[in-house]
Amino acid sequence: MKALPPNLLEELAAAVGPDWVISDPDRLLVYESDAQTAHNVAPQAVVLPSDTDQASQVARVLHRHQIPLVPRGAGTGLSGGALATRGGVVVGTSRMNKILEVDPSNRRAVVQSGVLNTDLSDATAPHGLHYAPDPSSQAACTIGGNVAENSGGPHCLKYGVTSRYITGLRVVLPDGTTVWLGGQGREAPSFDLVGLFVGSEGCFGLATEVEVALTPLPEAVETLLAIFETLEDAGRAVTSIVSAGLLPAALEIVDRNTIKAVEASIFAAGYPTDAGAALVVEFDGVEAGLAEEAEKAEEFCKAAGAREVRRAESAEERLALWKGRKKAFGTMGRLAPDLLVQDATVPRTRLPEVLASIAEIADRYQLQVANVFHAGDGNLHPNIVFDRRDAEETRRVEAASKEIMGVCVDAGGTITGEHGVGADKQKYMHLVFSPGELEVLRRVKGVFDPDGRCNPGKVVPEDEAPSEAGPNERTEAKS
Amino acid sequence: MKNLLRELKKQEEKLFNCVQCGFCLPVCPTYSRLGDEADSPRGRIHFMRAVVEGRIEPASETLNRHLDRCLGCRACESVCPSGVEYGRLLEGAREVTAGAVKPNLLTRLLPRVMASPSLLPPAMLLARALRATGFPRLVALRIPDEGFLGQVKLGMGMIAATARPEVLDGGWGRNVIKAETGSEDLVGAGVRVGILKGCVQDGLLGRVNRATARVLEANGYGLVEVGGQGCCGAIHAHTGGLGGARDLALKNIEAFEARELDLVAVNAAGCGAAMKDYSHLLADDSEYKDRAVNLAGRIRDVSELLSHPGILPGGALELSVTYDAPCHLLHAQRIAEEPISLLRSISGLELIPLPGHDECCGGAGIYGITHPELGGRISRDKVLSILETGAQVVATGNPGCMMQIGAGLEAEGANVDVVHPIELLDESYRRGGLYS
Repeated sequence: MKALPPNLLEELAAAVGPDWVISDPDRLLVYESDAQTAHNVAPQAVVLPSDTDQASQVARVLHRHQIPLVPRGAGTGLSGGALATRGGVVVGTSRMNKILEVDPSNRRAVVQSGVLNTDLSDATAPHGLHYAPDPSSQAACTIGGNVAENSGGPHCLKYGVTSRYITGLRVVLPDGTTVWLGGQGREAPSFDLVGLFVGSEGCFGLATEVEVALTPLPEAVETLLAIFETLEDAGRAVTSIVSAGLLPAALEIVDRNTIKAVEASIFAAGYPTDAGAALVVEFDGVEAGLAEEAEKAEEFCKAAGAREVRRAESAEERLALWKGRKKAFGTMGRLAPDLLVQDATVPRTRLPEVLASIAEIADRYQLQVANVFHAGDGNLHPNIVFDRRDAEETRRVEAASKEIMGVCVDAGGTITGEHGVGADKQKYMHLVFSPGELEVLRRVKGVFDPDGRCNPGKVVPEDEAPSEAGPNERTEAKS
Repeated sequence: MKNLLRELKKQEEKLFNCVQCGFCLPVCPTYSRLGDEADSPRGRIHFMRAVVEGRIEPASETLNRHLDRCLGCRACESVCPSGVEYGRLLEGAREVTAGAVKPNLLTRLLPRVMASPSLLPPAMLLARALRATGFPRLVALRIPDEGFLGQVKLGMGMIAATARPEVLDGGWGRNVIKAETGSEDLVGAGVRVGILKGCVQDGLLGRVNRATARVLEANGYGLVEVGGQGCCGAIHAHTGGLGGARDLALKNIEAFEARELDLVAVNAAGCGAAMKDYSHLLADDSEYKDRAVNLAGRIRDVSELLSHPGILPGGALELSVTYDAPCHLLHAQRIAEEPISLLRSISGLELIPLPGHDECCGGAGIYGITHPELGGRISRDKVLSILETGAQVVATGNPGCMMQIGAGLEAEGANVDVVHPIELLDESYRRGGLYS
């Protein structure tokens, strides 16, 4: 990593104001990781622009000096995507937090990319609308971060993920040029550049303004909680619900270890702590027929061996129940100091066997795995809890993690459902892409970022040969 | 330094509970205004962890600036899925940094005055005399916001804000008419209660203490005068003076123990939170450990004692009121519903919801004076939010918040009174003829 050129900080300060350029090494420490704590690399500076113009000037300065630009939202990401692993300057969107336009009659809104996911839904609720993708970190994560990761969430089973709701993007390219991709709710009459940009993990440029499609709030909601003796039974219930043609808005499973953590927290949702798994099933939409669907789902759960099925009677009960699920990741701190959140998808029908394999791997490595996942679309989050101060245990975590990933890929799945590749999953890219395919990815990035300065060292491995290194070794070797 | 670091290291397990999920960022008043993660709870915990790991010096100017900038509102604890005890960590960290870098004069002076039986009464007498001249109100309205004058303006506004509000008729008496139902049916029958008088509360907001006594007595509580009590020590603990806080805690334990009480009523949220935490503060004191647990278990916010369905109804009080939750009631003591149900129990009173009622008012001790710009922004947001409700009165259960919000309203020249919720219940009792 080369040292920053002498004039760089002054030029950045001229662009955004001296208060919003951070270069003091102590202060930069807080930017050394995101919510995936296995990777720790502090940037050389952080800049916090307040709008597109400032962001564009920042990018121009960095381009002139050929310094890497690393976009960062709220730092709630789970793949180390917002870290300057190859050095350079983090450009944060925390001050770009204004909702620029809400257009209820066309069901669209334009926001700065640092707007929080729930703030957008709260602002549109008075018009009977909401922003549908609901990652579990929605109270804290930004729309820009959601765009970068193409985030999912519990309700994406029915509603679809972020890419379905982004209709336009104002993007500052790595050389400082500002472009609109799509926008004004129009279908772009050529290549789908919006689709290409969503999920690009900050490797193509910095999205500063985002136009989104809004969705009417559902007329009615039915929420069920089914308690199972084993995780496999819960997995079977999911398969039979979906195979029968029911379309729940969400199908979420939490396992025994997760239940323990959640119930010990302030978000306790009343899940019985001796259960093997709990399945949350939610239906929403027009009121007619909704209760019947919920009853059918209840029967499927009982047939799969549910010992108890509860139905939320009030909005409060539903909220409490969801809170337990949505805050599950954070509650893991109650099990152990560190957490490796995995994110993989498998075909839904393979869920029971994959879950059994994960349990076997955890036993063999003597590790505690807490499963929280979007069962409806086969998106697994096996969370391995550990203590990073124990080097030997940390090595076991990495080995187990790799095996789990292998099991998922062998079952016809892939290496990430919604958290992105970032710095964390590069080493698994060769499991799902051929060298030729990786080369296509590199070429696409080159169109937006010919100098390779935009979030370098992420997503696409730069070397041809698959790397065997673990997360820490890899980032340290390159930084 | 080694000893101080040990203090923070003791908290190591709690520090490591933070999984860095970031859920605390949006609720933090400083992060949401500044946008720098160094001014977020997660960032500050990261700093503390770096101190324990030896990656950052306790004397680091950066560390001190960002820890100082924390209001200590603990809103982050209310949303933390991992249950990180941020307030306790902050106290430990501030003790470490205060050992490395001397805090500013005011931050050192104020706790000393609060703790001193010889300095506090004259200081409070002076403040009351000043208030009586009407000068503080004039100054709070007229002089500019900037610089040193701005700090004087805030200080004067805080003093002016403690003046008796116009919406309350007054009433200094302590006589209580017994309810016709007979005292054994009353909520508080047979319960012996002592009241924490507090330092600022006693000195400038004595009317709140008197209202507390009247209302408790009306509801059958047996009031016991507790002599020898003093400042709770909260301000000491928050500014890195855990030693001073412990000394005050010992004094209070002895004073309250001496009177065989069932419960201790506290009407200052900050003091209640501090006293409920005596058990933690004295956890390493072999002599006082159990006694601290005992007293901490008896501490009740006054709203906890009076939110029962069985409390006496008073007369109608036709007022529009909005409620602002003190952070140390809502986030530190997790008391959310009680003050609201207390206010709802008053007939005629219209309760208007306050947007952002769960965010700090910027009071946070003397934050507005030590951090005039940022504190001013936080405070202005609160005042504007209150004015938008159109309420005649804002109720909040902590002297610091009453004074901070009151000062903000004085500066705006707004005709909105600041009261403690218990004062409104007291006023309704007076109008209902419960007092002689």
